[in-house]
Amino acid sequence: MNRRVSLPPAVTRLMACLGGSVVLAMMVGRQQGSQQDYGLAFRESVLDVRIIGFLLLGVLAFLVITYREVVTPYVRRPGVRPLVVAVLVLVAAFFLMKWYDPLGDGKFGTLADAVAQTSGILPLAHVFFGWLWWVALIGLPVGTFVAIAIRNRRLAWIMAGLSVVLAVLTLVVHARSVAFAGGVDHSFGATTAFIGFLILAGAGVVAARSQEETAKTRAFVEQVMAYRPGLPLIVLGILLGLLALVLATWLAPRGDNLTLVDTSSLFSGSGLDGLATAVLGWLAYVLFAVVAVLGAAAVWLRSRALGWATAAAAALSILAVLYTLYAITDLAADQGYGTGTGPWQNLGTGGWVLCIALFTVGAGGAVAALQFQGRRGPEGSSDGVAGRLHDAGRSTTIRSLALFGIGLALFYPPTASGFWQQSLSTTIGVYVLLAIGLNVVIGWAGLLDLGFIAFYAIGSYTTAYLTNSLPVKPPSWLALSPLWAIPIAIAVCLLAGVLLGAPTLRLRGDYLAIVTLGFGEIIRIIAVNNPGNFTNGPRGVSDPVPHPVIDLGFVRFEWGGTSLQYWYLLLVLLAIVIVLFYRLEGSRLGRAWAAIREDEVAAQASGVNTTRVKLMAFAIGASTSGLAGVFFGSQVGFFNPQNFVLNNSILIVAYVVFGGMGSLIGAIAGAAALTWLPDFLRDQVPAEDRTMWIGAVLLIMMIFRPQGLIPARRREAELTGLAGHDIAARPSVQAIPASEGV
Amino acid sequence: MSDFMNYLILGVTRGSMYALIALGYTLVYGVLQLINFAHSEVFMSGAFGSFLVVHAVVGDGSSTSGVEAVLVLGLGLVSGALTGAVIAYVLERVAYRPLRKRGAPKLAFLISAIGASFLLSQLFGKLFNRLGNNRFPSYFNADRTLFHVFGARVTLLQVIIVVAALLLMLFLDRLVSGTKLGRGIRATAEDAPTAALMGVDIDRTISRTFIIGGALAGAAGFLFGTAFVFSNTMGFIPGIKAFAAAVLGGIGNIRGAMIGGLLLGIAENLIPTAPWTGTAWIGIQWTDVVAFVILILILVFRPTGILGERLGRAA
Repeated sequence: MNRRVSLPPAVTRLMACLGGSVVLAMMVGRQQGSQQDYGLAFRESVLDVRIIGFLLLGVLAFLVITYREVVTPYVRRPGVRPLVVAVLVLVAAFFLMKWYDPLGDGKFGTLADAVAQTSGILPLAHVFFGWLWWVALIGLPVGTFVAIAIRNRRLAWIMAGLSVVLAVLTLVVHARSVAFAGGVDHSFGATTAFIGFLILAGAGVVAARSQEETAKTRAFVEQVMAYRPGLPLIVLGILLGLLALVLATWLAPRGDNLTLVDTSSLFSGSGLDGLATAVLGWLAYVLFAVVAVLGAAAVWLRSRALGWATAAAAALSILAVLYTLYAITDLAADQGYGTGTGPWQNLGTGGWVLCIALFTVGAGGAVAALQFQGRRGPEGSSDGVAGRLHDAGRSTTIRSLALFGIGLALFYPPTASGFWQQSLSTTIGVYVLLAIGLNVVIGWAGLLDLGFIAFYAIGSYTTAYLTNSLPVKPPSWLALSPLWAIPIAIAVCLLAGVLLGAPTLRLRGDYLAIVTLGFGEIIRIIAVNNPGNFTNGPRGVSDPVPHPVIDLGFVRFEWGGTSLQYWYLLLVLLAIVIVLFYRLEGSRLGRAWAAIREDEVAAQASGVNTTRVKLMAFAIGASTSGLAGVFFGSQVGFFNPQNFVLNNSILIVAYVVFGGMGSLIGAIAGAAALTWLPDFLRDQVPAEDRTMWIGAVLLIMMIFRPQGLIPARRREAELTGLAGHDIAARPSVQAIPASEGV
Repeated sequence: MSDFMNYLILGVTRGSMYALIALGYTLVYGVLQLINFAHSEVFMSGAFGSFLVVHAVVGDGSSTSGVEAVLVLGLGLVSGALTGAVIAYVLERVAYRPLRKRGAPKLAFLISAIGASFLLSQLFGKLFNRLGNNRFPSYFNADRTLFHVFGARVTLLQVIIVVAALLLMLFLDRLVSGTKLGRGIRATAEDAPTAALMGVDIDRTISRTFIIGGALAGAAGFLFGTAFVFSNTMGFIPGIKAFAAAVLGGIGNIRGAMIGGLLLGIAENLIPTAPWTGTAWIGIQWTDVVAFVILILILVFRPTGILGERLGRAA
């Protein structure tokens, strides 16, 4: 090749870091220019004094990368990682998060200014917002770092203690200030700072307690989890439960916040039935204590029977608490106390948090019971005691997290704000379902489908047709409630999947991608162009799709009052789909998918009917999508072709890959995280910039963790080899990625 | 007949722009076997980059003479190509090379490309504007009729676009088949590890491939922006169409991309309007459906595209 003008790597790296910092400056900079002056935003974000700050950041990154060898031993010291995380969280709390919604941009600085000008507020608030926050923000991390660097245990303990004090102080001062000012406030800032200080305290404790030269964070976590499986869950549950029983609000009918004791005295002698009175008065404490003691005993004694007993007791207690919540709100609404018009209104967080706590303790018992059944030997290498301990720790960690997640999914949404409830049931939940479906096609069978949203559209329009919501009416015997439309919509989508798949599935990866993409666009354009006046064109369905109804004669329930009802319907659907797919993964079909994904020719040679197996993947994925379509259609009532644009197809692929291809939990986590992000960012960055930040998150995630959030075991093994060694140590000659079944 | 020719000319104009973009997809696919999903944003950046230069030179364009206009056209083409090349180079360094180094699964490249695409498109929107109707200054009479073919008029702009596209494609064809760099690209496409053993610097070759593809797309961005309007989301539809064109011709095959682009452009203009029947047939709103149906049919009956995959490896 021609003359080589290659710069020394350090110069290239410096340029890259500086370039990155300029891009960052633009990303957080001023919003767009105009057609008269295109360069306005560019000038104001780059040709400004603050660019120096960003450039310094770039130089810092450069220094860290360049002197990695020098820095590494310090970074590996116990406590440094949590320290870095804590600083990031605190800085995010300061720069990004809102602290108080009613006030301007609601950031910390604005609130601090307001506090400084307000008299009569808690004196501590003046101190805190005046200088204490700054001192803490800079002093505590620096102090902790010094403690780690000079290995001074006493200093580390002091810093940890101070961090805890600051954490509590942040919460208290913020709560008092907000209470003083009044107004509706859903800001996360103080909570984030609270968590940040607690992580900082954790860093201090780790530094003070550690005997090791270098930190092995993952090994430590796994050791903790494997020590007494279920123990972390039990501890967490007990803490949550105490919070719920003593501090939390149980009922807030008139803006007053009644704790459990207050609620009990409010309802004494009001004709509340026996069980509810007992629960409010003493039974809640007793039940919680029994469950907690049972759980602790089960975990400590490693007893299977006790573990299951804990789970059962927790379930019974949850039922009792739920009944109580129903009874008190029903009574309050009956007697016109507060603003409630029916049961389940004006509840505080207390009852729900107690439910989460009970569920968590019960889950701890179940984890313990499952662990000591002793039959589970996870696949992969488990050589020697250390290997088994490692695997036990890992599977316990995942199981614990999954169970805690279920507890949150069940009992957290009632305490969330209306916006989040709606977001959960319309966006997050539906896209989780779609991601699970696409995971079958992409993750398991290895077929790249870029038109997945088409099946979702088909499902939605089928529902609309069957429920009389389109200009073209079905024959009267076919007009159905949305719940009965589910099987038909699934069947239609299955058929569509087969029809698309049969001629095209013999195409190789990228051709299949473009064909499915084309199919998705064709379906959307048909919906827009409205042939035969079937779809009602870009305006969307002509009449609202009715809400689903269960009518068994003696009991009748109609969805539609709140988003919460849909959320629980969705949970049921999700649970069914997840259990089915979990079974499917290990089945003959699932193994056949893995085989064709790894090597299609070899699979065919071993007797797998590849076309049929691929078709099955397509059809199963499509039918999941159809199910999501029914749910979506009947929940929102009105929808139009804009809901089914190509971008959404691409986003679902991104969710699956982001979460970890081929892993069921990964797909759920990826979809949940990436659909949660835009709604979360809504409060934090300008609305127009949301897509930009999501793009940045995707990009950075893929650069640093291409296997996704929670990779499937089999996939991980493909990437790293069974021994799980460092993947970065590959020869650079291998410029082409090992071709994978896509 | 004049209707038919009108739509044919429109199709050739659009098709030659598709072909320019499709070349970028096909080149990258040839050497890396992956779809560069952010390529459409490279195209978009070319329009913005060349606009800034052209705007700085001619202002609102009212006082530009004929000779100047020719120079400005060349300048716009070059600046668009340069912007595209720079963006494509950075894209490869940031979104692809780190993943290549750690042997990431193929889909991870796709996702990082999607991320980069979102980031680029929105960053350009944030920096310049998010309006959908930005126009280049009119420094020459683009609508002037040059000559007639069977009664259909051919405008100056159409000639410019087609000639520029053909020149660029010719240049690329020579480059890939005749130069040392071209040989390196073909060797890498054929078998990267072996090419590395034969002394081809794989990283450098891949980087240059991105630069070449980016330059073509950037030039196409300039042409597209001159012909229509440009915005930060303009890349999406032409990008998809160009990708389809690349697949149509046989992805990884350079001449295939040219033919695929032209064919797609012509077909999507001729078929939905069916100008030979005299009346509107199924209507212009089905353009995209026709384009994709043709694509699907061709792939079903000839699964490796029209010319097959010559540059890339089969399977």
